[in-house]
Amino acid sequence: MDFTLTQEQKLFRETVYRYGRDEVAPLCEEADLRGEFSFEIWNRLASFGIFGLPFPEELGGSGADIVTCCLAGEALGHAGVDGGSLLAWGAHTYLCAHNIFTFGTDEQKKNYVPKLASGEWIGCMGLTEPGSGSDAASMRATALRKGDRYILNGTKTFITNAPVSDVYVVFANVDRARKHEGITAFIVEKGTPGLSTSTPFHKMGCKCSATSEVIMEDCEVPETNVLGGEGKGWIIALSGVEWDRCTLLSPMLGAALFNLDACARYANERHQFNRPIRSFQAIQHRIADMKVFIEAARLAIYRVASAKDRGQMLNPLQAAVSKVYAGDRGFEMASEAVQVFGGYGFMHEYPVERNFRDSKLAAIGGGTSDIMRMIVSRIMMM
Amino acid sequence: MDYQLSSDQVKLEQDIAAFCSAEIAPRAAKLERSPAREKDALMRDNLKRLGRAGWLAAGHGPDGMDLVTLYLVGEATARACPATFISMRASTFLCAGAIRLFGTKAQKDRCLTGLLSGETVGALAYSEDQAGTDMAGITATAREDHGTWLLSGTKDIVVNAPMADLFLVLAWHDRPAGPDSGMSLFLVEKKAEGLSVGHRVETMGLKGAPLASVTLDGCASAGILGDVPGQGLGQMKRLMAMGAVGMAALSVGIGMACMEISTAHAKARMAFGRKIGMFQDVGFKLADMFAYNDLGRMLALRAAWGFNTGDREADVLASCAKLFAGEAATKIVNWGMQIFAGHGYLAGTDMERLYRDAKFGEICERTSEMLRQEISQQELDRFVTA
Repeated sequence: MDFTLTQEQKLFRETVYRYGRDEVAPLCEEADLRGEFSFEIWNRLASFGIFGLPFPEELGGSGADIVTCCLAGEALGHAGVDGGSLLAWGAHTYLCAHNIFTFGTDEQKKNYVPKLASGEWIGCMGLTEPGSGSDAASMRATALRKGDRYILNGTKTFITNAPVSDVYVVFANVDRARKHEGITAFIVEKGTPGLSTSTPFHKMGCKCSATSEVIMEDCEVPETNVLGGEGKGWIIALSGVEWDRCTLLSPMLGAALFNLDACARYANERHQFNRPIRSFQAIQHRIADMKVFIEAARLAIYRVASAKDRGQMLNPLQAAVSKVYAGDRGFEMASEAVQVFGGYGFMHEYPVERNFRDSKLAAIGGGTSDIMRMIVSRIMMM
Repeated sequence: MDYQLSSDQVKLEQDIAAFCSAEIAPRAAKLERSPAREKDALMRDNLKRLGRAGWLAAGHGPDGMDLVTLYLVGEATARACPATFISMRASTFLCAGAIRLFGTKAQKDRCLTGLLSGETVGALAYSEDQAGTDMAGITATAREDHGTWLLSGTKDIVVNAPMADLFLVLAWHDRPAGPDSGMSLFLVEKKAEGLSVGHRVETMGLKGAPLASVTLDGCASAGILGDVPGQGLGQMKRLMAMGAVGMAALSVGIGMACMEISTAHAKARMAFGRKIGMFQDVGFKLADMFAYNDLGRMLALRAAWGFNTGDREADVLASCAKLFAGEAATKIVNWGMQIFAGHGYLAGTDMERLYRDAKFGEICERTSEMLRQEISQQELDRFVTA
């Protein structure tokens, strides 16, 4: 048992935190208000090398381990970078680029990973459909084989980065009678005839990530664009869960750290009834609850990450605990942060307001809290 | 970074679990229901059993204590019988642990062998009618007379008092010096003249653990812990900080026991043609029990590891662990009671006993409210403005 970070990891976290605080966070308030994807934020994250963290150097990455990837997410969230921009990064790096890196042919890796790692290209992954979320195996999108090509038809929805993507990893079924065994992943490039995206959705939170439908109408791709082999899509989709339970949650931990700092600072500065509000127990107790949440969530998230670094199979119970706790309790704590700020917390110019809206996603995206409880209870009932 | 227990620790965890399910758990219900005299005999026997098998001494080394080992042994014991854990902890951690940490070599040589084998039982007497967490509020005093410290005062709720052979007693030896240097912990033997143990106090839960008040009337002590007067408050604070790990062990142990019986019930009990665990209202409660136990245990182990490695954050992490696990346990037993419904409400059932036992984790050695205050101060102080 050893909970320490290496000196290098600590230093890296600190460096990312400073960069995020000084170079990225100042852009977030306005971008969030516009509710649009910010290429400026994207480029600043790209120039720091954030998008290439988990890839080997020969593919344009920096060969970081998963714990280090989580530290980057935590540090950026802590620095005040908005949840939407960090979600855009997560969808891009882990769900798109890393799937190509893990399941792609040498040719595919060479073609896509370096451009995605540098941030020159933006990537997304399309799994969810209007009629299928957690029950992803019931997807309706089809891939009809025609010679050495596939014809894709179907609609994907809630796809993070879709409106701004250059590379789409989409899932479709080659034979719906085979259910999940027919699900296949395809790499589709922007501009492919038959591929389009809807107008971006207006979301409650994570507004700096662009989200839309991906529509495939007789969209033809060569068989060389199959990712991981025909019928292997289900395995690819499930592997995304491992990333979701650590790297994609780490910005939520970071946001909680940001909120704790913001509330502790505000509680010292704000005076009512001739005393700083930190002297009121109702404020103190919220601060304490935030601290407990942070420590527990940190352990849950990094336990998944460090196990993954050690090459262990994902423990579905530990993964679900990480998701359900960061999601449900994280939202409650974000709400308490707004409460500490009172009326100011309700105003857009205070980031606790944005963090409150952003934090709700952790209980929804990548498997709702309800699904997490279902997974755990089914294992317990076995 | 490696969050897993070592193979030795896993082995220890399995061994203590096997021991407890054979030797301790089967007597948990009987321990609670027996008349007082039998209870104390049973508890003494439980401690002797644990001592003979080496579990009371587990984690005790010549230079200190391995809190990860103490946690693992504690959680397993609490899971089998929370009352036994509370009694064991009072003797081997609050009393023997304090001697281990702060005692002179002579005091260790004299006391530890008996306490850690279960042949003798120890207790820590610090709280009073008007003083708990606010230890400076105690009124017990010590005065020196020809080289012997004579103690006077009343300690109100002392775990193990009815059966203890050795007491550590917190008292003022120099009130004008103030709490930081005017208080000391004194060793007092049961046979000392002027020491009387009050009537056994009945409690809502943990009924197997004997509690009573202790009155000292010019009672001669066997010396100051560590031989240097004035260290009492610092020693108590250190002991309470580390002790939060043990309190978390109590709560997680209760939570685990409750999850175990609730899961078994959810699999066995049928309603409307299905196992009740297949209804989401029940299944999700089981899932939440799992999550809370898992997180509480992780927080406690993180804090324990922090104490072992000299981590500056260990104190606050231990407070977080106790706060989290204490509140988790009362939620878990509440859910468990809902799952058992009428069958859990019957007196004498394990569910009903755990329901009463759990509350102690939110109260003993700093209430959740006190913990929140302490945890928040550290965070708030990071941003003090001039």
